[in-house]
Amino acid sequence: MPSLLLVVVAALLSSWAQLLTDANSWWSLALNPVQRPEMFIIGAQPVCSQLPGLSPGQRKLCQLYQEHMSYIGEGAKTGIRECQHQFRQRRWNCSTVDNTSVFGRVMQIGSRETAFTYAVSAAGVVNAISRACREGELSTCGCSRAARPKDLPRDWLWGGCGDNVEYGYRFAKEFVDAREREKNFAKGSEEQGRALMNLQNNEAGRRAVYKMADVACKCHGVSGSCSLKTCWLQLAEFRKVGDRLKEKYDSAAAMRITRQGKLELANSRFNQPTPEDLVYVDPSPDYCLRNETTGSLGTQGRLCNKTSEGMDGCELMCCGRGYDRFKSVQVERCHCRFHWCCFVRCKKCTEVVDQYVCK
Amino acid sequence: MWVAWSARTAALALLLGALHGAPTRGQEYDYYGWQAEPLHGRSYSKPPQCLDIPADLPLCHTVGYKRMRLPNLLEHESLAEVKQQASSWLPLLAKRCHSDTQVFLCSLFAPVCLDRPIYPCRSLCEAARAGCAPLMEAYGFPWPEMLHCHKFPLDNDLCIAVQFGHLPATAPPVTKICAQCEMEHSADGLMEQMCSSDFVVKMRIKEIKIDNGDRKLIGAQKKKKLLKAGPLKRKDTKKLVLHMKNGASCPCPQLDNLTGSFLVMGRKVEGQLLLTAVYRWDKKNKEMKFAVKFMFSYPCSLYYPFFYGAAEPH
Repeated sequence: MPSLLLVVVAALLSSWAQLLTDANSWWSLALNPVQRPEMFIIGAQPVCSQLPGLSPGQRKLCQLYQEHMSYIGEGAKTGIRECQHQFRQRRWNCSTVDNTSVFGRVMQIGSRETAFTYAVSAAGVVNAISRACREGELSTCGCSRAARPKDLPRDWLWGGCGDNVEYGYRFAKEFVDAREREKNFAKGSEEQGRALMNLQNNEAGRRAVYKMADVACKCHGVSGSCSLKTCWLQLAEFRKVGDRLKEKYDSAAAMRITRQGKLELANSRFNQPTPEDLVYVDPSPDYCLRNETTGSLGTQGRLCNKTSEGMDGCELMCCGRGYDRFKSVQVERCHCRFHWCCFVRCKKCTEVVDQYVCK
Repeated sequence: MWVAWSARTAALALLLGALHGAPTRGQEYDYYGWQAEPLHGRSYSKPPQCLDIPADLPLCHTVGYKRMRLPNLLEHESLAEVKQQASSWLPLLAKRCHSDTQVFLCSLFAPVCLDRPIYPCRSLCEAARAGCAPLMEAYGFPWPEMLHCHKFPLDNDLCIAVQFGHLPATAPPVTKICAQCEMEHSADGLMEQMCSSDFVVKMRIKEIKIDNGDRKLIGAQKKKKLLKAGPLKRKDTKKLVLHMKNGASCPCPQLDNLTGSFLVMGRKVEGQLLLTAVYRWDKKNKEMKFAVKFMFSYPCSLYYPFFYGAAEPH
């Protein structure tokens, strides 16, 4: 009996330690403001060691590239914000639960939603670092050095300061993938499957930003004419990246880990995923009810749309549990008018609207 | 139990009824000021700033407000870029081709700082274009793509409408002299004109023809002297035909009599030679002689104005 108790305690402790380790993520940089590089000079080592959510490899990169950290935080924030936009009408809406694990235990599930989150966060980092290079904020990179496109008209100039998407891509690969690459997994294990899934989805996110960067031009000849036109490489708006990844989410491929330690399609009838596709290894929970085990917050208390038959409609959002109706008084600016010179004057309008909330 | 429940229901119904029946009412208040614009889809980037309009942005320093938004509505990202591009438009302002030219241009170059961008109304753009495009075309500059009026919102309460264009004329309008025939009198003024012209030639004029809205000056074969060649080649000068854009129906005193020689300046635009300035050649005019002699010593500015005409007398 005493030895049995010891085994139980050891098992619980091991499980708890695993949970604690996996709960941390570099996404937490989005929710804990990273200090400006000047602050790092005072105590370089301690500051990196105090940043929450970094893996050992990421901590080393932090020490080497201190000035990059605030932009990684910005990138993570951009990713989270975009995730919350894309999933705003879904049962799981990318809510953040705390400042350390960010999304909570729901990320332990190798689901489609987890795939999107990894991809859009990695994309956010590529975006932020590329832009920071262009703005001259980072000493190790500057304007893009992308070659002049072959189809650019001969009399257009190539060489404004472009977003350095090459550097952003490489740095994001190094930093974001570090957590997965520094571990050793048993071949064919679930842990390895999950790590490979993360690497694939990180790559898909990075490639979305890289491929969507395009040529932007500006006319700055005399009197705004196009006699002098300069072009450069420019990041796409991040909303477009989010839209692209959402499409990938909708067509994500279900995978499983083989005994040889590779991911393969769960259903061989479907097409093999490309490096730009999202993949997942677990089915999604239904996210209907609060569940401490899965990390699902449930949809109780969520607003829903009574007239919609989509995911934001009350029937689906509330999982058939029904909804309450109540009236809400909304106050907003209305009848705004611009006056010369120079202000906008508005009236204040109140409106009583029906709102529906899941039971 | 039943009685209490019923009473509560009645009270709730009354409350809801009162709320539901309340008419939508407007309460007036002002707001003015600068708030950071939410990042609507825009990726990580510096948020728009609100800056004082600098004194060395003469296009907009007197527009009527003091703070501007950067990046502006033409996607200029730095003050240096704004200043450089705005300098081209100063001579147009000096021409006073429309009373709202400054309001229109500055709504884009130095837009007012409010919590959302305020664009010029389409009607303001169309009024400015109607007044100023013919003048620009006379100098070979089309109305630029960045100012195409379809880009701007149809008139509504939150765009900048025509402000001064409604004012009644204080004097009866007189027929205006052709833009190309306004005369500089100083050597410096002449040299500025020569800077903004592609070529300068002393020549005789054989005849003038009307071609739609333009005048065509046919050069005489003899007595031609190329003072500034620019894009012209020797073969171009054999048979000179100069177009006075939009010059068919405006007066030009210099061309009333075609005897003698003329000092002519022009630009080459899409294979056509456009006249930008014409003077009777006067060998006794010291200012003209000085300008012709020292034309190439004059410090032309790198981004010279697209045209330099005589400013209206103050």
